[in-house]
Amino acid sequence: MMRFNDIKREAGFVFAHRQFKLTLLVVFLLSTAALWSGHAEMQAQQATIERLLEKDTQEREAVLNHQSSYGMVAYYAFHLTYAPPSPLAFAVVGERDVFPWKHRVRMLALEGQIYESDTDNPELAFLGRFDFAFVVSVLLPLFIILLLYDLKAKEREARRFDLLNVTARNSHAVWTSRTLVTLVPLALVTLLPFVAFAIVNGASVSSILLACVIVLGTISVWSAIVLAIGAAQRFAKYSATHLASLMLGVWLITTVIVPVTGHTVINAAVETPEGGDIVLTQREAVNGAWDKPVEETWEKFIETHPQWADYTAYDPKRDGSFNWKWYFAFQQVGDESASELSNAYQQSTIRKNQLAGYVSLLSPSLLTQRLLSNTASTNVQSMIDYENKVRAFHASLREFYYQQLFAAPEFSKSSLKRLPQFTTTSQFTTPMNTQENTNEK
Amino acid sequence: MIDQTIKTICAEQWRYWLRTKVATTVLILGSVLTLAALVINTFHIEEAAHAREHLQGEAEQRFLSQPDKHPHRMVHYGHYVFRTPTPLSVIEPGVDTYTGNAIFLEGHRQNSAMFAQQRQSAGLTRFSSLTPSFLALVLAPLFIILIGYGSVSREREAGTLTLLLTQGASRWQLVLGKLVALMLASSIFLLPLLLACLYVAFSNESALVVTLFCLGYALYFLLWAVVVTACSTLFEKSSASFTVLIVIWMSACILLPRMGSSVATSVEPSIGKLEADFKVEEKLRSLGDGHDVNDPAFVKLKQDLLDKYNVDSVDDLPVNFRGIVAQYSEQRQAVVINEFAETRMQEELAQARIARQFGWLSPTVALRSFSTLLAGTSIETHHRFLREAEILRMQFVQGLNKVHVEKLDYKLDMNRNSSEEAAHKAVVEASNWAVLSEFSFEPEAPMARLSSAAMYCLQLLLWVGVAVLLLKLAVRRLNP
Repeated sequence: MMRFNDIKREAGFVFAHRQFKLTLLVVFLLSTAALWSGHAEMQAQQATIERLLEKDTQEREAVLNHQSSYGMVAYYAFHLTYAPPSPLAFAVVGERDVFPWKHRVRMLALEGQIYESDTDNPELAFLGRFDFAFVVSVLLPLFIILLLYDLKAKEREARRFDLLNVTARNSHAVWTSRTLVTLVPLALVTLLPFVAFAIVNGASVSSILLACVIVLGTISVWSAIVLAIGAAQRFAKYSATHLASLMLGVWLITTVIVPVTGHTVINAAVETPEGGDIVLTQREAVNGAWDKPVEETWEKFIETHPQWADYTAYDPKRDGSFNWKWYFAFQQVGDESASELSNAYQQSTIRKNQLAGYVSLLSPSLLTQRLLSNTASTNVQSMIDYENKVRAFHASLREFYYQQLFAAPEFSKSSLKRLPQFTTTSQFTTPMNTQENTNEK
Repeated sequence: MIDQTIKTICAEQWRYWLRTKVATTVLILGSVLTLAALVINTFHIEEAAHAREHLQGEAEQRFLSQPDKHPHRMVHYGHYVFRTPTPLSVIEPGVDTYTGNAIFLEGHRQNSAMFAQQRQSAGLTRFSSLTPSFLALVLAPLFIILIGYGSVSREREAGTLTLLLTQGASRWQLVLGKLVALMLASSIFLLPLLLACLYVAFSNESALVVTLFCLGYALYFLLWAVVVTACSTLFEKSSASFTVLIVIWMSACILLPRMGSSVATSVEPSIGKLEADFKVEEKLRSLGDGHDVNDPAFVKLKQDLLDKYNVDSVDDLPVNFRGIVAQYSEQRQAVVINEFAETRMQEELAQARIARQFGWLSPTVALRSFSTLLAGTSIETHHRFLREAEILRMQFVQGLNKVHVEKLDYKLDMNRNSSEEAAHKAVVEASNWAVLSEFSFEPEAPMARLSSAAMYCLQLLLWVGVAVLLLKLAVRRLNP
């Protein structure tokens, strides 16, 4: 049994080492630096969204004042959509630097717009992010190895090993309490800055607790690995540094080799349509429509929008000098022609993500990274949810404009007040292709 | 002539490594990994190169085979360009998977590159990737450490160091023997890389670039071998040498590159494309809508033209006024768009340069900059791709506008929306689509790449210098 006195004695021993105190300081600084840089970045993203929102309203007002038909408004008015960073995103930038989190869309074919990406500097993304999740999932295991690998060897070399075993009431308790007095301060210097930043960012208590549990889980798993290798009978004759090499080998295999092998296998196994094919198909359909008889477009359009079957006739008096109804109808048909490919593309992203989830069960680092980004909603699924939100918003725009283009007696500026607005919380009408996606979740 | 004593010490060290499991496992693991990475990456890049060349040809074919149309419709039909990977991306793919490699070119808009592969990796390759450069830059140093951390300190701990030195080996001979042994071991990881370079050299890459590329990696491996041997000589105990080396590796290979990236983001914030788009639009609104000949912004243009041809109305002009407006506004718009695009590229470049300054703190960053610049997989080459795409865009869009001006009758053009029949009359012949020229992307000329990489070569040489000084210090302090 461990007693308070044992722990106090061990703490005295452990803290007497300058190396230990130095390690704690380094971990504390790394954790704080990572959190600060993530925090600054999320603040910047939030500020960007606010600036964009302001500009977006101004720009749209200008268009609405300038134009005098629904067709022209629909053609020229852009709408900003965005996915704001969650309160915990500062700790896990996750997929936010490769997936877009802001788009401007208009009534034209969506497939031509949604793959536009306004992501960060690719060279910086390639060098990698220094965020809290990285510190915890990649660096922390290395620090645990460095702190624990010569736990016993150090005492043997200092010729205190036998003394310790003899003088303690229970020789097991010595090593348990020594491990604890090493790991608890390590966990504290990692987590305290995190909790402070999380409170500043207004994260919910439950999400903070969850993230802390994940970090503590990581520390426990790696300590268990290190201690198991250290205690294994097979390696009893190995020197401390040989044991450490073995531990690094485990780190290397789980952190590097498992993920890259998984990536290679998953890429070979899951068939993904060429992204270029989606936009090419959509473009051919949209541009081809100009050369085809108008009826052909209407036929396809009515298949999915039977409610407008009686409104397709072009009346220059009501519709203006250009047949905007038909124009937007073939934009819709263009999207539909590419929807199968586009669905398959999204499905393959989801499928790959799912398989990556299984791979992560073999890699504690990957698992930590994924769990943390789930908690912070910066995972692949959140980014896909955002994409689907954009699709749903676009569908609601279409619904609104079709109503005006087909049925409104004449152009009236006041009706534009009912123009759908993108909000991050509200639900839009379900577009055609989100059905399968919700099944996947 | 290699000194006989050095040779013996080196051979003895190898005998020891082959006896111990750790060293042999690391050697085998390292070379298998490098080979696997090379094979997989080569296949991947060749496949991508092939696919993109094919897509490029197909896109050109589709454009040219469009039927007779209104020329402005071809402006909106647009065109695709693809960036083919450079030969050395077999070893250093760089930003390739992060940028997207296709751009849709159309009139009135400058689109960004689409379909970055990184999105399809579900975070698996965010820390590590199975590319030869990652293995060489990050993992190889770890392997070298695991093999060599105890080469000298082990002798001291076993008490054989005194024996060796009293038997007549000088301190330099001893340390050099150990260093040569470690260099030989690390060359096992380097060898597959050199072979791959040889393969690249036979494709269309400048021999000078490939040679320097190889030299960069060789220097990097040498550097680590020297540092590891120096630490092993400096520290009394193997465990101390091990701990210090692992800490050096963590900071140089893992921590500092990322620190550089984060610092660059906060020091030199860059506004995104969306925000720049707003600024472009604000400025453009004052320039007029190129679709609308009655826009007040074109009044002066109209008057000048009427004066020039000495006629009273646009109907009497020998050229198509709508085409003139399109041409004129596209040109003015392009100036604004490119002004902002250029600013954005400069910002990205400034960020990348800040991140590269971390090469003074970490040799890994230095070699990364050096090798991406030489391989043509850095942000500079991507920007070059964007610029060339823009040149092509303006070329075919303005080419089509010229056709619009010269070959389409103004009255037919103005009448095009009145009926389907009228629309069919307002077209030009498909032979005019030949204004599109072929696109094949090439990285910067070898000399240009070499000169931009020179600074990072300097960083690398500085690190070699520091390592050699460290070794000198270690030898001077070597006492049994």
